[in-house]
This record gives sequence, structure tokens and C-alpha cells, in this order.
Amino acid sequence: MIEVLHPGIQSSIQDLGRLGHQSLGVPIGGAMDQNAFNLSNRILNNPSHSAVLEMGFKGPKLLFHQSTTVALTGADMGAKLNGQKISNFNPIEIKEKDLLEFGNAHYGKRTYMAVAGGIQTPEILNSRSQYKGITSEPKLSKTKLIPFNIVKFEPAKGVRISPRINESKQVVILAYKGPDFDLLSGNAKNKLCQNTFSISNKNSRMAYILEEKLVPRISSIWTSPVLPGTVQCTPNGTLIILMRDAQTTGGYPRILQVTDEGLNILAQKSTKECFQFQLSSV
Amino acid sequence: MTNRLPFRFFINHPKVIVLEWDGEPDDTMLQQLIEFKKRIIKEFDEVIQITQGYLSLMLFHKINVQYIEDYKNRLYFLYSLQSRPTIKKVKVWQIPVCYEETYAPDLKSLASKLNLNTTALIKKHVSARYQVYFIGFLPGFLYLNGLAKELECSRKEQPLTNVPQGSVAIGGKQTGIYPMDSPGGWHIIGKTPYPFFEPKNKKPCFAQIGDSVQFTSISKSEFLQLEMQSLQGTLKISHL
Repeated sequence: MIEVLHPGIQSSIQDLGRLGHQSLGVPIGGAMDQNAFNLSNRILNNPSHSAVLEMGFKGPKLLFHQSTTVALTGADMGAKLNGQKISNFNPIEIKEKDLLEFGNAHYGKRTYMAVAGGIQTPEILNSRSQYKGITSEPKLSKTKLIPFNIVKFEPAKGVRISPRINESKQVVILAYKGPDFDLLSGNAKNKLCQNTFSISNKNSRMAYILEEKLVPRISSIWTSPVLPGTVQCTPNGTLIILMRDAQTTGGYPRILQVTDEGLNILAQKSTKECFQFQLSSV
Repeated sequence: MTNRLPFRFFINHPKVIVLEWDGEPDDTMLQQLIEFKKRIIKEFDEVIQITQGYLSLMLFHKINVQYIEDYKNRLYFLYSLQSRPTIKKVKVWQIPVCYEETYAPDLKSLASKLNLNTTALIKKHVSARYQVYFIGFLPGFLYLNGLAKELECSRKEQPLTNVPQGSVAIGGKQTGIYPMDSPGGWHIIGKTPYPFFEPKNKKPCFAQIGDSVQFTSISKSEFLQLEMQSLQGTLKISHL
């Protein structure tokens, strides 16, 4: 068990989400930055869908009740094990009663902590990803105990883990045309592909609302399915990028679809950070 | 078949294809979408799930879609084989709603906006049968078609930050039930004790796309009784 002494700002247990239940209105969910997620499990030689702890902006304070091995990836939160600084991208041995503290995120906004054997909270609709109304808690909360199995960490043979280059500095987000791209005027299309956009302070695991607006007066559509990465344009020109906890249907025109890689890059960005869209073909 | 393609085919993502129809949603369209969806699931092994909107289907694939032209032709061919949808007998779920003031904070204001008295509003709301067009917005939120024209009303200027679970509401041309506590901008006219989304059940939502829903008015004491049964897990949800 891991005891949560302080939950941090936006910490939640995540795996690869609930693909397959969307016709009931269930969001796909899952880790925001799936590159960092995958890497954390690979370092520990865990099954690829193992649940990990996702930490946003400022990390938690955790007390381990049993010994285990963990691995940190994604943003650097200046993690300290019993007061000693530890680094990302390595297996880290943890002993009973060890205290692991995280600070503010640098070089990105989200950090992932995998635990040997994976976090073992109950699976609901084939996933452990926390979501309001589906799991008993919508996110990590104080005094909660996070269960894990005691498994001995066995490094994978012949697998070399090299830390990824720092993606938080990337400013080009690749996107495919959305089904409603052609509802935009030529002028609006140009602006969309040439202007720089920034993330407003309304950003969450569900969606990022952008600060800059596109030309208004786009015609409306009948409510249609959407998915993480869909970029919607509201009647007043506001752009909304749907993130991993996106709803399953939406009534705003879907002008772009951010690539999976683009979503991982966006996951490491937050308020006031800038980027440009670049069209890509499927 | 005419020269015009029956639906638009759009590659939204390497693993996701969107099909879209023109026109207005109606019951025939709904039946066609349901039928086509079933056939695709049966014939296309690579499709893992299909979600639905008023006039669209979204096909999710295990891996990136290969041989797009060939895939597209197989889809159009499958569609051309489609028999005319027959109107099948559908389930009509009976949903009890308490329209008393405790549970209906916006009933009076909505009635006066619509130039109706509350009794007339309730009567209109319970006398219609609503079709489940699809589920979206929240887990277990049914998009219902069939609201009486006289009950259409634009959404509130200021959405509520927390609409309680079970609230029955009207917004725009739609009526719906909030399956869980959530923000919302619709006018709340009552509350049902029935759970619309139970994640731990094998079937988390009892209603399915294509079913119908009918509301029945209940008293506060009946509501409390049913709510108790719901909490104890002894509630029986019935349909015609």
C-alpha cells in the first residue's frame, strides 16, 4: 500500500483507458501523455496496460507501507526519497516506511510513477483510470491507500531505456483535417494553420480551451461522436481541444483531429504555452 | 441505388472512420443507423466499436485502417444490401418522475416562460414517448427525441455548477435525465429515483439506442420509496 499524505494538484491513477464502452457515453480516459506512461511501465518491465500514478503540475507526498520498485517519467517534479533527490527514467528501490515527495513540475506538466507489477485498484469497465461517476473517487485524495502487489522487479533482458528528448519544448502540433474542416472559410483555414495559439487557464484532463479565437459564424452541426484530440470550434470562434477525458459526443463543428503524438505533447503543456497546428494527412 | 453516395466517408484518424448522412434525424434514419451498425460489427472484424450521433457513425478499429479504397467499397456494398428497416417492437421504459417543487426548482419559471400552467406542462411531458437516439455527453445520458414543440425552450443563461443525479430537465428541443451530478444549463422540472448509469453492473445502462422512454408522474412519498429500493438494490425497472 502507498499512503497518500498529500494528494498534489491533479493526481490520478491511470492506465490506457476504457476503449470499447463509448456507446454508453463513457469517456475513453487514460494517461494524458501516453509516451511517458508507456516508458514508465517499460522501465519496470510491467505489462503494457499496468495502471500508474499520473501527477499534474505539483506532485503528492507519499508514504510506502511495503518495499517495491518505482520508475518516474515525464515532467521533472524534483522528486525526493527521504529527502534525497532522485532522478527520472531509472528503476528506484523503495523500502518500507520510505517517504517520496514531489514538487512543482519542470520541463513539462505531468509526471508518471509506475510501480512494479502495476497499481491494483479495482478495475471498472476494463480500466483502473479514475473518472467521476465511474471509479469510487474521481482523483487521488488525501489519506487514500493505493494498493499494489509485492512483486520482485526483474529488469527486461536486452531492453535499453533511453530517456526521450524533452518534448515539452515542441511547438508544432500535427493534426488531421476534421470531418467539418470544410465548414471553415479559406481565410479561417489559413489562420488555423498559420497563427500561433496558446492554452487558456481553462484546461483540464477533459479539454483545453484556447485563448485566441478563430473567425466566428461557423454553421452548426447535428450532435456527433467525438474523441480525444478532436478540435471543436464554437459559434463565437472559440477553439476547444478535447483531451483524454473527453465526452463521447459533441455538437460543435470538428475542424481538426490532433494526432496521438500531438496529444502527448499537449499533455505536457499548460496555461499560456504556445503552439502551432500543422496539417498532416492520415 | 442512385449515383449519389448514400453517406460521406471520412478518415478522422488512422484508426477512426466517420460516416455521415445528410438530412434530418427521424425514426427511419435511426432504424437504418442501428441496422447498418449491426451489419458492420458482424462483417468487419477489424471494427472494435461504433459510436453514434444523430446522423453519423464513428467506427473504431484495432489497428490503422489499410487499403482505404477497398474498405470504402466494402462499406458501400454492405449498405446497398441493406433491406428496408422494418419497424420493430421496441422496449418502452416507464420512468417515474416526481414533479413536486422540492425536486423541480425550475418548473414554475419554465411554465411561465412557456405560457403554460405547471399541470399542463407536466401533462405534456408525460404524454409523449421519447426515442433513445444515442447516448453521450455523460455516461448514461440518453439523447431523447420527441419533445412537444410547446415545451421547447432555450437553455438557461447561467448553467448550474451542480445539477443533482436523476434530475429531469428540458433544454432547447430536448429533454433528458442527468445520470450523475454534473454541471448543466437545462431547466430542471423533476427528478427520477431510477439510476441511469451503474458502472459495476454488467449492463451499466438499462436503456439502449432505439428503445423508447415514457415518463410517469409520481408523488414525493412514492419517490422516496423507490429511492430507498434503489439504494437497497431491490428496484425493478420495467418496460412495456
